[in-house]
Amino acid sequence: MHLHQHICISPQQTNDDIGLDNITPSVDGKLLAIEPMLEGVPPGMLRRMSKAVRMGIGAGLPLIKNNEVDGIVIGTANGGMEDCIKFLNQIIDYDEGLLTPANFVQSTPNAIAGQLSLITKNRSYNATHVHNGLAFENAVIDAQMLIGENPGSSYLLGGVDEISSYNYNIDLLAGWYDKTKSNTELYTVASNATIAGEGAAMFLVNNNAEEAIAKIAAIEIFQSTDKSEVESRFKKFIADAVPEMNNTLLISGENGDQRFLPLYATCEYAIGSSIPVVRFKHLTGEYPTASAFALWLACQAIQQQSLPDHLYKYEHNLTQIDHVIMYNQYQGKQHSFMYIAK
Amino acid sequence: MEKEALKQQVKEQIVKFLNLNTVSPADIKDDEPLFGEGLGLDSIDSIELIVMLSREYGINIQDPKEGRKILTNVNTMVDYIEEHRTK
Repeated sequence: MHLHQHICISPQQTNDDIGLDNITPSVDGKLLAIEPMLEGVPPGMLRRMSKAVRMGIGAGLPLIKNNEVDGIVIGTANGGMEDCIKFLNQIIDYDEGLLTPANFVQSTPNAIAGQLSLITKNRSYNATHVHNGLAFENAVIDAQMLIGENPGSSYLLGGVDEISSYNYNIDLLAGWYDKTKSNTELYTVASNATIAGEGAAMFLVNNNAEEAIAKIAAIEIFQSTDKSEVESRFKKFIADAVPEMNNTLLISGENGDQRFLPLYATCEYAIGSSIPVVRFKHLTGEYPTASAFALWLACQAIQQQSLPDHLYKYEHNLTQIDHVIMYNQYQGKQHSFMYIAK
Repeated sequence: MEKEALKQQVKEQIVKFLNLNTVSPADIKDDEPLFGEGLGLDSIDSIELIVMLSREYGINIQDPKEGRKILTNVNTMVDYIEEHRTK
């Protein structure tokens, strides 16, 4: 599956004038996405949209306005959770009485793909995958299968998630997040938590190799809490999927939570010390579909043939980037590998 | 409550309930149409306003034709609220 265009909305300057040299600092352990100006969206629709929908529209709409697509495939763990909780609270506050429709309509995870379809009048395939930390990866696999079945077709593929106060508080109480942690010292202060993040990354994909930025050559997802399984699967993935290791980069989802360092370390060790390691969660924070940002970063690396030094874990002498291998995991249970080639 | 104070309250509630980010209560004129021209509200907004009347003033509108008349502008809303409010 070939990647042709992409748009990324994140807490950093990744939309329009892309600038990754300067890092926007986190506030109270959160990295909030910079919202885009939404042109061509009716004001009535806009004011009802949750942030997840606005980010999804901001990243997806320009791609499908400029290209005909045969479907919209989105991965999101939570969709517009903030509005969903508003709606559920109304049920309690008003004793299951008269409820307003807007919060409910906008709160379902498929509101993002649905709104993209309504705005562009695209009545083709429209699917939303909600597999928590593997939601985006499942969207990738769905798009791959669609292209396999329908060669010549194009799809909008994306991953979106917002920080909702409800989910954030639950995850904070569960010990996944630390309010005192900052992205400027994410990897240097040892603690059993990370910072929260959000964002949306969208891609135009098809099977046309001509003028493609890169291709997703292989993907593997699984659930496990066993480090040795991660190690054995990663070794097998590299052996089966990656034909050569020259000019290769490893993008690691390392998030500063020291409980999961052994998982990332085992993959780094398995791939070998000659392969430079790039980390990105100090730019995005942690969220279930952060791998969509990682895929966007892989595209950037291949297109620009370089990345800012602060992304590299160690000093490196890589001058050409032809292959990117990604490893990401969510909350120690959901793991994914991707191999992206020029 | 004085009529003018009630108008101001209704305008504030319209902005809040409909999430009108770019409109302030002072921007809404008393006799300006709420739907179509003027404020440019749509059918989903009409349901939001009916819910608002129920929650804030205890008014339950059953007849859609009646609802259309009541929600013509701020003046018609306030007149109906004064006459039919139960809280």
